[in-house]
Amino acid sequence: MSDARLKWLLLPAGLFVLAVYAWPTLGLFRNAFNETGPTGAMVETWSLKTTAEVLADSFTFELTLNSLWLSLSATLLALALSYPVALFLFRTNSRFRGLLAVVAIMPMLISGVVRVFGWLAILGDRGLVNSLAQSFGLITAPMKLVFNWTGVTIGLAESIMPYMILALLAGFGQLDRTLEEASRSLGATPMRTFLRVTLPLSLPALALAAGLGFVLSMSAYITPKLLGGGRVFVLATEIFEQATTNTNWPVASVLAIYTLVLLLLLLAASNLAARGLKR
Amino acid sequence: MSYLELSGLQKRYRDAVAVDDVSLSVEKGEAVALLGPSGCGKTTTLRMLAGLVDPDRGAIRLDGAEVTRLPAHKRNMGYVFQSYALFPHLSVARNVGFGLEERRVAKAEIARRVVEALAMVRLSGLDQRRPRELSGGQQQRVALARSLVIRPSVLLLDESLSNLDAKLRDTMRHEIRSIQRSLGITTLFVTHDQVEALTMCDRIAVMHRGRIAQIGSPEDIYERPATRFVAEFVGRANALPATRDAEGRVVLWGERLPVAAPAGGEFDLFVRPQRIRILPISEPVADGMARVTGKVLRSVFVGDHVEVLVEGAAGQIQVELQSGTALPQEGAEVALVWRARDTLPFPRETA
Amino acid sequence: MPTRRLVLQAGLATVAAPALVRAQSSLSGTITLMSYAGIFQDNYTKAVVEPFQQAHPGVKVNYVPGGTSAQMVGSARAQKADPQVDVTIMDVTTSSIGNSEGLFEKLTPAEFPVLNELLPEARAAGGDYGPAVTFDHLVLVYDAALQPPLAKLADLWRPDLKGLLAVSAPPNIQGLALTAMVEKMEGGDHRKSIDAAIRKLKALAPSVSTFEPNPDGYSLILNGVVKVATGWNARSQLYADQTGGKIAALLPPEGSVFQINTINLTAGSKNRAAAAAFVNYALSQPAQKAFTERMFYAPTNGKAQIDPKAIARTAAAPESRARMIDLDWNEVLKVRDQWNNRWRREVVAAR
Repeated sequence: MSDARLKWLLLPAGLFVLAVYAWPTLGLFRNAFNETGPTGAMVETWSLKTTAEVLADSFTFELTLNSLWLSLSATLLALALSYPVALFLFRTNSRFRGLLAVVAIMPMLISGVVRVFGWLAILGDRGLVNSLAQSFGLITAPMKLVFNWTGVTIGLAESIMPYMILALLAGFGQLDRTLEEASRSLGATPMRTFLRVTLPLSLPALALAAGLGFVLSMSAYITPKLLGGGRVFVLATEIFEQATTNTNWPVASVLAIYTLVLLLLLLAASNLAARGLKR
Repeated sequence: MSYLELSGLQKRYRDAVAVDDVSLSVEKGEAVALLGPSGCGKTTTLRMLAGLVDPDRGAIRLDGAEVTRLPAHKRNMGYVFQSYALFPHLSVARNVGFGLEERRVAKAEIARRVVEALAMVRLSGLDQRRPRELSGGQQQRVALARSLVIRPSVLLLDESLSNLDAKLRDTMRHEIRSIQRSLGITTLFVTHDQVEALTMCDRIAVMHRGRIAQIGSPEDIYERPATRFVAEFVGRANALPATRDAEGRVVLWGERLPVAAPAGGEFDLFVRPQRIRILPISEPVADGMARVTGKVLRSVFVGDHVEVLVEGAAGQIQVELQSGTALPQEGAEVALVWRARDTLPFPRETA
Repeated sequence: MPTRRLVLQAGLATVAAPALVRAQSSLSGTITLMSYAGIFQDNYTKAVVEPFQQAHPGVKVNYVPGGTSAQMVGSARAQKADPQVDVTIMDVTTSSIGNSEGLFEKLTPAEFPVLNELLPEARAAGGDYGPAVTFDHLVLVYDAALQPPLAKLADLWRPDLKGLLAVSAPPNIQGLALTAMVEKMEGGDHRKSIDAAIRKLKALAPSVSTFEPNPDGYSLILNGVVKVATGWNARSQLYADQTGGKIAALLPPEGSVFQINTINLTAGSKNRAAAAAFVNYALSQPAQKAFTERMFYAPTNGKAQIDPKAIARTAAAPESRARMIDLDWNEVLKVRDQWNNRWRREVVAAR
């Protein structure tokens, strides 16, 4: 097929995106130019007042740092946990490989809300972890594992893991068992082989997975909301809060656009970095 | 005791025996080919030697020391992979220096030996390239240099030439052989290509179904195949169903041949096409020669030789003549003549 | 079984509905009522919607759960050009936003004579717009097994409750109400300053398990996650009955704050006549009586004759009214962002 005719293949998706994404996004842009009156009423106008206020508010900066920090720590934790799993799945000749892969991405099939309540049962003051630790006499008072940053980081890491495992498997193209055998035959210990061959060759996959995990974490809302106990303020929760509790659509819109721009910049940066890695 | 001793090696996989029982002695400086069709266990044997596969049974001794369970990185074996397995993220120089870096050799020493190794494989000046910027032949040389630079106890080559085109393969064959000879390095060479085995090695071990069918010099293997499989696999041969007459003499196409019949049941005679001459039907033959007659079915000029197919009373015989000789007329009645000692009788396989 | 008796009484109240309502039963069509989901929907449907439909057989009331009050005003805002909802019952803090955006209609006593029966504070809540339809107040909900039981607001700071509190922080209005209550407890007045409250709440923060109880504080107590939570009286009373007294509600002697739901007629309603009839009925004595006796929201119709036992469990009980802090939600709205920020920076962030 010629390139010109190939383009038609993009038409259905293009129309779909236009209808469900571009149109609402336009509404978002419109609201960002509105203002909010002193009692919360929305004032329809065309002004940059809301944008200026949001950008000048030090809390916006705080939220940004929080979002970045949360996304970074959740992504790194998830990456550390996903990488061995993905390597195993990539390598194994087990006849259960298909089943194991499904188990690894199973959390994707479960509603986020259900997962979060699962974590409450595990990480709560009287949850599994604390009960076990107390029954073994490791601790006397329960550890605070949930309704704080720790809980959100753990829950978020778990929720992005399936996506990262899939991204890693997709990105492992260059990883070839023979290269590791070559390394070992040349005198490198398994550890050195991992450091000198496996890891460097996994870098494109790791970058891909980390980028995906980071974007997902930045936009995650349910986990910070439900596991944060009201202590974890990030951009996504603030957008929701402004839109649905404060009825402040202009501020919510400005924050949403701000987050979108932030993510686009981060994606561009990670693309550049990935291109550098491939060289 | 030989420099390298494999004794009773066995490796089973879930549902198949890859290597059944392999024993082999290799002298220092010797080049031995493991020749066989795919699935015969030759690569598994090589990988057991390198420590990449653990044998289920048997032992490997190198220079008197048992290395059967030694991990790969402690064996000091140079392994050249079929796919070359060059590290795509490292330059040619870093690839070649890899083993030396792992051996904590001083930087200056590494640099010197890398240059030396690249010169040996005639790749000087390409040291900063990435593997994917090299041609297949160049990658092959890098892989060879990388394995040689660590001064391995044994060099292991796994189908190392199979990814190259015919012409390049020919060149590399000779280069590797001359490097191997000049370094005096003990070499094991896995191949399914008999020309490679015949031209590059001091001895050939022909493998069949996880066992060694025959070990010997290239000439032994070619001229005196020990089993029907070896005769069939190495070189080309006519397999001619023959019978015994009342006196127990061998009869082919109604002619008695001065050949000793093997004991037992049905058998075939193996005759290499190049060993057969085509003579006019009237020409007499000397003693010790086998002779049958037939009609020329087809003659084909193939360049360096001529292939002639002759049909006789009970089948066909393929003859290979040197080019330059006159093409026999199709349909002509001819006599096929060969030395009786070039006839190898093997019992017919029942399987 | 007090609950069953209350239901019976509600049914009788319906039968005795005033002639005024019956006279309008020529109305027809469908109207959409939007309000809270869950037990509010269940009970409001039984106590008010169904009797209304019996009185007006031609009218079908479609009850649509709208999420939180803020989500409801959001829906109204999004549908401004083409309203799909005719009547909304929601918190006064959000209905006032809708009023100032022109989403809801002004109601006049000429058209809605029932307005004259309402308590002055119920009229005041909506100004010229939809008046209060229910009164509720903030309570401390606690595990009935807690020893010693919760006796006052200051008990939240009890060391034995450390880690066992669920407190809804602002912008949730429970958090706003709690701020005013703590300020009062500390001898201050929220209209002047909340410094004392913030200082005191900061000391409470380490005891708080979650500042955002999900799905709500009542469930967290019933599931054993916390012992004490902020909550609304009406729901707490109902849950106390439904769970056989596993949870209890305390109106703190230090004072509490009214929560007001208003009933709002959508500007541009497509079936205005029926919608107006519904608003009228919802504010009428029988509807107010039925709903209060069923779900313990205090009535806003001063003339409604309600079972004293039910009244005793609502904010309308004299001793409850005496404890209410004078809080004008329209004023608090203006400082909501400011309070919200102080909570985030000074209370929630405290470790």
